[in-house]
Amino acid sequence: MTAAPALRERPPGQGQPWPWLLPAVAVLAVFYAIPVLDVVRLAFSDATLIAPATGLSLDAVRSILGDPALRKVLATTVIFVAVNVVALQLAGLSIALLIVRGERRGLKGMAAFRTLVLAAWVVPGIANGLIWGLLFDEAPYGTLNSLLGSVALGPVAWLSDPKMALVSAVIANLWQGTAFSMIVFYAARRGIPPVLYEVAELDAAGPWRTFRSITLPLMRRAIAVNSVLVSVQTLNTFDSILALTGGGPGRATEVLALFTFNTVFYNLDLAGGAVLALLLFAAGITLTLLIGWIGRDRGTS
Amino acid sequence: MSAARWGDVASYALFALLAAFFLLPFAWLVSLAIRTPAEVYLGAARFIPEAPTLDNFSAVLSDRAFLSYLWNGLKLSAGGGALAIALAIPAAYACSRIPFRGQGAVLVGLLAVQMISPLVILVPLYRWMSTLDLLNLHLSVIAVYGAIGMPLAVWLLKVTFDAIPVELEEAAQIDGASRWLILGRIVLPLARSGLASAFVLTMVMNWSQFLVPFILLERDQDWPISVAIFNFAGSVSASTTQLLAAACLIAVLPAVLVFVALQRMIVTALISGAVKG
Amino acid sequence: MKTPILAALSALATIAALPSPSHAQDLIGRNRVGLPDAPKTLTFRLTSYDLYSSDPATKEAFERLFSEFISERPDWKIETQLQTGNIGQEQARLLQQTQGGRGPDCAMIDSSQLALFKETGVLRPMNAVFSDEDVADLFPFVRDAVTNEDGDVLAWWWFTDLRVLYRDTSLIPDAPQTWAEVEAAALAAAEAGREGILINGGRWEGTAFDWLANFWAQGGRLVDESGAPIFAEGENREKFLAAIRYYDGLVDSGAAPARITSITDYDAFTAAAAASSAAMFVGGNWQYGQLRTTLPTDRFANWEVSELPGPTADQRATGTGGWSIAALSDDPEKAALCGEIAKEIYAGPGNAAQGLLPTSASIYTEYDAYDGPEFELFAEALENGVARPGAAVYPEISNQIQILLGNVLSGTQEPEEALDAAATAVEAAYARQ
Repeated sequence: MTAAPALRERPPGQGQPWPWLLPAVAVLAVFYAIPVLDVVRLAFSDATLIAPATGLSLDAVRSILGDPALRKVLATTVIFVAVNVVALQLAGLSIALLIVRGERRGLKGMAAFRTLVLAAWVVPGIANGLIWGLLFDEAPYGTLNSLLGSVALGPVAWLSDPKMALVSAVIANLWQGTAFSMIVFYAARRGIPPVLYEVAELDAAGPWRTFRSITLPLMRRAIAVNSVLVSVQTLNTFDSILALTGGGPGRATEVLALFTFNTVFYNLDLAGGAVLALLLFAAGITLTLLIGWIGRDRGTS
Repeated sequence: MSAARWGDVASYALFALLAAFFLLPFAWLVSLAIRTPAEVYLGAARFIPEAPTLDNFSAVLSDRAFLSYLWNGLKLSAGGGALAIALAIPAAYACSRIPFRGQGAVLVGLLAVQMISPLVILVPLYRWMSTLDLLNLHLSVIAVYGAIGMPLAVWLLKVTFDAIPVELEEAAQIDGASRWLILGRIVLPLARSGLASAFVLTMVMNWSQFLVPFILLERDQDWPISVAIFNFAGSVSASTTQLLAAACLIAVLPAVLVFVALQRMIVTALISGAVKG
Repeated sequence: MKTPILAALSALATIAALPSPSHAQDLIGRNRVGLPDAPKTLTFRLTSYDLYSSDPATKEAFERLFSEFISERPDWKIETQLQTGNIGQEQARLLQQTQGGRGPDCAMIDSSQLALFKETGVLRPMNAVFSDEDVADLFPFVRDAVTNEDGDVLAWWWFTDLRVLYRDTSLIPDAPQTWAEVEAAALAAAEAGREGILINGGRWEGTAFDWLANFWAQGGRLVDESGAPIFAEGENREKFLAAIRYYDGLVDSGAAPARITSITDYDAFTAAAAASSAAMFVGGNWQYGQLRTTLPTDRFANWEVSELPGPTADQRATGTGGWSIAALSDDPEKAALCGEIAKEIYAGPGNAAQGLLPTSASIYTEYDAYDGPEFELFAEALENGVARPGAAVYPEISNQIQILLGNVLSGTQEPEEALDAAATAVEAAYARQ
């Protein structure tokens, strides 16, 4: 993720870059830097959506961090993010490799399949939650259960059982999110020089060995980068869950982002919401650093 | 049959499975949306209804509010996409053509900004907009969309600019043209397809945005479809499932169609971005 | 609650819509009632469920009422401002604007927020408009909510809604009167292959509100006079636990399906009635009309409403909502006009035009719209109406009840444990207010 080496071959640029960067930097300052500082200030205040802050206070921090619900929410978040990151990448990688193989073999329908996966990507999160809400409906006429029923299976408590509800939320997220990983892996796989595979074929290496000794090592960086992107995206997801379960039953599907949203817009607690937003921010940064570090470690070994 | 042929069979089997997963929600939506109220509660037994109808679509679309939600969605996402591109062009050009210290940091910094959830910044944004009396304005939403979409646009455009031979610009530079002029006259026309794909991509992202318009627009007549669809759920008088399905389809279709029509271009842009990035 | 939401979605349609071809045309504009050059102006923030409704009949009726009203007051024009269906956010904004001196002169306030507005002292008396008889004619819970200790009329609650028990009489001929009877009837229906009873149990306001009737029926109280939470203390604690155990028992015995913890919508009940899959449900009074339009006539005839059962047949309560109109302007003339809008347009003719439940018994007898047998039941049930406390901590109480019910009904937590957790969370939220 650093500047391309090609840059140095360019003639030394005249003039300063800063006038060019000004609009971008100004926008980031106004819409990100200052608001983030303001969030910090709010976190140490007693502001609500109705009443402005009256002074500095540690109450919000203390009460949010001391809230027993937070532990439950964080545990749910860790599970939701971890399962999604693994599942999204496995799905994205398999689909990308399948499509590349299909294209190489001249199989029909590859473009249509890719389009189908991408189509799910552009569904608004709220609509995603509503659509899967219809599919998971547990009424006797609900979609999946009546499908399962027709082959004498089920019914499954998709959304009413706390554990299953989290699985269902993962499934809905998987449907929408796989496309992103697929594109990243598809691009990375296409970036591997074909000559390597020709050599492998000459060596009569089987598909599994080829995958282990060529595809996987050369895609490590893509996997590392994608892990960061996908985990942060998943961490910030809440609109589909909001529409799917509202966080319930109980707090079974209430992830940190949704907890933050509820704190601000349901409880009108600005200070508490700011503390949670900072937590979300910190979690995102930590994830980025952590996975970046893991990726780097492996890349040099 | 050779091993490769067996592989093809296995590939198709996997494709069929995956396609079923990705297709099911869409197919079911269509099935529900063309049902009459009498058939909605028959579940999967009646996947293709006996009396298919388009009434649900006309019922949703005859509601003028729904049309304006669609229009708002289009306006906001296109406006936001355009602003993001406009902000990104000079930055991407500088990163591509003017070597400077800290360039890597700028690009990585942009990526890091992309990681910040709108949830983090929206509370202060709401308060600001409220004190400045900028709430309930489409322009405010477009401005925020511009900021959110800009980092990605910078990355995509930098890749596009990198691919344009620098010699063309050198010739113009010798003729005494300023950099701004070169950018406008030479680089941008050549970067058309990259600009277009960055625009479409940011626009599609904006189309699905929920939080920003939800917070900054308090009046429902200003809402884009991504927010309004939430209110639509369970808000129609009679049995609603078939209407909700039709509404979801209508909400999703514009973005899907644009994306499908332009996907080759977008995917190419994303791939070149991913490879070189 | 629900009836209003319907029309919210079409607020724009009504705004963008061409003026309807009626005599009201000149007097009713997109955001104005009266002649544009009238010397005096009243700003009125209303919901999109009446004058700007997407239902043509409702819209026309209100256009007529408003034109008549303003024709009698040629000096005045009313500038209308629309609010969305997002009640919590809208009311917070209204309060914020009023405190900052930017609010409207007159506004529609959700009944659940009324106490909060009273407490902040932004409401202006409308005593000149409402006589003692008018006030005396209100249902007791309405009267308490709109007046203060000095007898000032601070708002006019012009329609209400309530929760009732719906049942399919082909399976359950007699209305269950007690919790035990509900369970028995539901179990019998479940044995016949139906879902015995459906109730809201998912993560949303309806779950808490519907359930609270069972707590209130025993005389339980959520908060004390100062707005401090007391639901987990003393007698209230036992009542609270009893009401949780009632729901828990329904699920445990199979009288209610386990899926109720995923129901976050009253429409699920209408759907289940249409699919003939459920025998009973706890729904809102507005759903009666929905069932009439959704079900075939012969099947609709099987559905009847009855008062929500209590622990015993004598202990009853039902949660009531609805909207009020209140004056926010310091100008007595404007406050009076605001009261007159409430009295002459909304309470009475406005109720009848929409079939909304009036807040005083006399209006039921005055209008033909309330001749149906269901309205007798509604009026009777309203005698036991309880409104949500207008305490600032209520949203958190509701949130905790939703979580608690989800946990208990899905078997993740025992009632006592869940109540303690909820009480701790509410206390923490209250301590920071």
